[in-house]
Amino acid sequence: MSTTIIERPEAPVPAGGPATAGPPARPTVKKRFRAEQLTAWAFILPVVAYLVIFYAYPLYRNVDLSLRDYTVRSFIDGNAPFVGFQNFVDVFQDPTFGPALRNTLLFTGVSIAFQFSFGMALAVFFFQNFRLSSTLRALFLVPWLLPLIVSASTWSWMMNSDSGVINSVIHGIGGAPVNWLTSPQWALVAVIIANVWIGIPFNLVILYSGLQNIPGDIYEAAALDGANAWQKFWRITFPLLKPVSAITILLGLVYTLKVFDIIWIMTKGGPGNASTTFAIWSYQLGFGSTLPNFSPAAAVGNLLIVIALIFGFLYLRVQRKQAQQ
Amino acid sequence: MTATTRTTADTLPRRKTGSVRPAGALGPARTSRKRSPGKTILGVVLTAIMLFPIYWMINVSLTPQSQMRSSPPSWFPLNPTFDGYAQVVGQQLPYLGTSLLVGLGTVVLTVAVSAPAAYSLAKLRPRGGGALSFILIVAQMIPQVIIAMGFYAIYLNLGILNQAGGLIIADSTLAVPFGVLIFTAFMAGIPDELMSAAKLDGASTWRTFVSVVLPVSRNSVVTVSLFAFLWAWSDFVFSSTLNSGGAQQTITLGIYRYIGNNNQDWNAIMATAVVASIPATILLVVAQRYVAAGVTAGAVKD
Amino acid sequence: MISFFRRKRALAALVGLAVAGATLTGCASGTSSAGGAAPKGTYTFWDPYPQFDASSAWTKLVEKCGTEAGVTVKRTGYDTSDLTSKALLAGQQNNSPDLLLVDNPVVSTLADAGILTDTSETKTSTASVEKNILAAGQIDGKTYGVPIGANTLALYYNKKVLDAAGVDPSTITSWDALTSALEKISATGNKGITFSGIGTEEGSFQFLPWFWGSGADLTKLDSSDGVSALSLLTDWVNKGYAPNSVINNTQTTSWQEFLTGKFGFSENGTWQLAGVKTSGLDYGIISIPSKSGGAAPAPTGGEFLTIPVQKDTARYQVSEKIQSCLTSTKNYVSTDTTLSYVAPTAAAQQQQLAAQSDLKPWVTAVGDAKGRTSDNLGTKYPKISEQMWKAEQNALSGSQTPAAALQQAQTAAAAAIK
Repeated sequence: MSTTIIERPEAPVPAGGPATAGPPARPTVKKRFRAEQLTAWAFILPVVAYLVIFYAYPLYRNVDLSLRDYTVRSFIDGNAPFVGFQNFVDVFQDPTFGPALRNTLLFTGVSIAFQFSFGMALAVFFFQNFRLSSTLRALFLVPWLLPLIVSASTWSWMMNSDSGVINSVIHGIGGAPVNWLTSPQWALVAVIIANVWIGIPFNLVILYSGLQNIPGDIYEAAALDGANAWQKFWRITFPLLKPVSAITILLGLVYTLKVFDIIWIMTKGGPGNASTTFAIWSYQLGFGSTLPNFSPAAAVGNLLIVIALIFGFLYLRVQRKQAQQ
Repeated sequence: MTATTRTTADTLPRRKTGSVRPAGALGPARTSRKRSPGKTILGVVLTAIMLFPIYWMINVSLTPQSQMRSSPPSWFPLNPTFDGYAQVVGQQLPYLGTSLLVGLGTVVLTVAVSAPAAYSLAKLRPRGGGALSFILIVAQMIPQVIIAMGFYAIYLNLGILNQAGGLIIADSTLAVPFGVLIFTAFMAGIPDELMSAAKLDGASTWRTFVSVVLPVSRNSVVTVSLFAFLWAWSDFVFSSTLNSGGAQQTITLGIYRYIGNNNQDWNAIMATAVVASIPATILLVVAQRYVAAGVTAGAVKD
Repeated sequence: MISFFRRKRALAALVGLAVAGATLTGCASGTSSAGGAAPKGTYTFWDPYPQFDASSAWTKLVEKCGTEAGVTVKRTGYDTSDLTSKALLAGQQNNSPDLLLVDNPVVSTLADAGILTDTSETKTSTASVEKNILAAGQIDGKTYGVPIGANTLALYYNKKVLDAAGVDPSTITSWDALTSALEKISATGNKGITFSGIGTEEGSFQFLPWFWGSGADLTKLDSSDGVSALSLLTDWVNKGYAPNSVINNTQTTSWQEFLTGKFGFSENGTWQLAGVKTSGLDYGIISIPSKSGGAAPAPTGGEFLTIPVQKDTARYQVSEKIQSCLTSTKNYVSTDTTLSYVAPTAAAQQQQLAAQSDLKPWVTAVGDAKGRTSDNLGTKYPKISEQMWKAEQNALSGSQTPAAALQQAQTAAAAAIK
């Protein structure tokens, strides 16, 4: 894919020649090897420092918070008793846990299903190279580039029960107005719609790149066999896009699980718990009420990290498998 | 992504030989290359639907506050008011300035930190490099809210809360893992001969990096810079945790203020939103292909 | 934690080391905070007024009080919503500001955490402050700050809309009278009332006049009185007397609905007074009625000026000077006029009234108002309140009946405060 969009470093690559980037000749002298290792690490050091200070420390704090019983008082004096996994047990037994789990699964699953299918349909559509297709495809990227706070604000105003344009349209075609953001049945749907909108460009771009890598002659052969467009899609495009699709979906999962801004701005997780996901719940516990509940907030946050990690490993596996093919 | 990194160099030649064709010229494209106004019309309609919220944002930004809650809402800004924009200019310009400063600072820091590391990972084969690449991927998955709390404690003690410098460091953490991965993918594709030549001329590793590798990878520098800037520009969680009390505040915070307790002035909110979207739009127009490249790099292996 | 990391291999050990390093740095700079982060002669001041920038009268006043005390004051404005978390984190790092202005229901929480000094330590005088306003900052007989001003809730009404529906506002002294007025207004095509039912402290703040007005008590959310209060609001939404948007309304959004001129009433606060006068709306104000008749107790809002605990207790003396400067009668009048608040002392209230007679109903309302953390609820209040706003959300949105919602809230609240 990248060949077509990214200009590769312009080094002459002999067509059909052997791989140019073979491993460099192994240094024969041990000393030299060590010097090279030092140089190599000197280049990496800033990034390692970054990771340690800005990722490891907050993570350590979060784990610590979730394994102790921090009240506001013990948060200050630092004498929070170690309670093991009690916070996690409390979180599992909390009445919010069920709805939050359900909402997280629905939000992630439905968002991705729609983002992916719209992205796929649009990628196939734009791949047909009609007039203006590349311009229009570029315009499709705009929603993805806007600050989330902008997109979320716009959607929440469009979905306003009384003054929103969406209800106005529904009213115009004779439907009953929908309380998008304020009814327990619709709040989750509303945030999913906004999230799908934001996610379509991402899916479109990746899948489009995937399409570019399907050799054209396969289609030509299929055309000779008399395959119609529908058959071509299901028999050629879809199977050949499988690897790209798998990665698109996994990346989508990891990003969607983290989604916070959109829901927080649109519904604050409400009404009640109707659109509360784990990310929202964690924030509500830690920052959303007058009295911060640091320990359960951290426990929920850690659950989220664990879920993301699982998908992260899955992502790596898929990547590795593809690399081997 | 590690895997991609590893294989880019090997697949490069194959790709070049196996697919010598202009983008999109083959496949189903070839059969329908002839003019198809129907598809163009459909494409325009779909794009219009997709971009409707953005149109609406602009429309609302021009609607007078008194008509804001009229029912049905006015579809076109027939009596446009520029009050919202006047407010933006009056109140939000310093915020825009801060965001610009933070964005550019983030770009510089991100490239400065991630490019050398990527060079090392791609070419110098450090021991433990694989583990580092893995950690970088995992780092991208940690919810920002959790990181932000840790930052707050660190910054409080260092006394760099509410300063643009502190926010630049925080924002660059969003882009550094991504930057390393992208740079690694690009640099792995640079032929070793280039570097060996420099070395024969007596250049040190650092010199080789600065005068050979960086110039050759300028496209990837653009991609990483673009993303670093966009992320810093649209960041909200960090600026609200780390920077909400200072004199230098960012534009996302400016918008949030409008939505927050003290104001709910949709006209001004949307005007700010429009202004805040301008950088993204300019970047898209100027550098569309780099944006697309950034989204795809590392995610797709061919 | 080091042992936790030691089990891992080389890289992880490196990580552990650096974390230890970061923690050490934290302690080191923590001890030197009084001299380091805030050099002698500079006093830090946090408040929840981000809308005031460096050139505002408020900042100038704060700085002037510092100058009078012989020091420089560095003021920082934070959003109300995250000031508590930030103050707690700062307290944890032994790096609290010298002066902290916080929303009154938070005072008891911060005091309980040990972050705040009580007025006897700093020799702050609170004698002139009205008892009911001061009560929000008192736990177990100790006072943890001085109110900077007070506000409360009442019903604003639109004269035009009420006239069109033939409603006389002076007759609205009970829930029944109000509901029938709303019915009449709705019949004319306008909306009856708007309020804020959002799932935050704002929602609880706005629900309390109805809750207390029913005779209910915060320690028992699901009493029949409590249920009647929630049913009242839920019925209004179900019958269309109140718009559905109240579920997500902040006090500001609901105020903007009212300013469209299509609403009969708006439950809103003292601070809207400045805005309503410039809006051109023909408005009036009545107290929120209680269930059986008469004015319902409304909650007091407004911030307290507190002095957080410092390592260097010598700093309290200067902090107290700044505090008493900001709470002098003259400064009360100018600050509370800017904020559209009612001053918390009788002397300052008299001066406010002399300059602005239409503040009269608000001064009375503040006099009748009640602190949310009063009744010695203290730190229990935030936990109860959280369940209360959740119940309100569930009932207004129709996912639960008012009775079921409050019952669930009571169970959760009881578990949280035990």
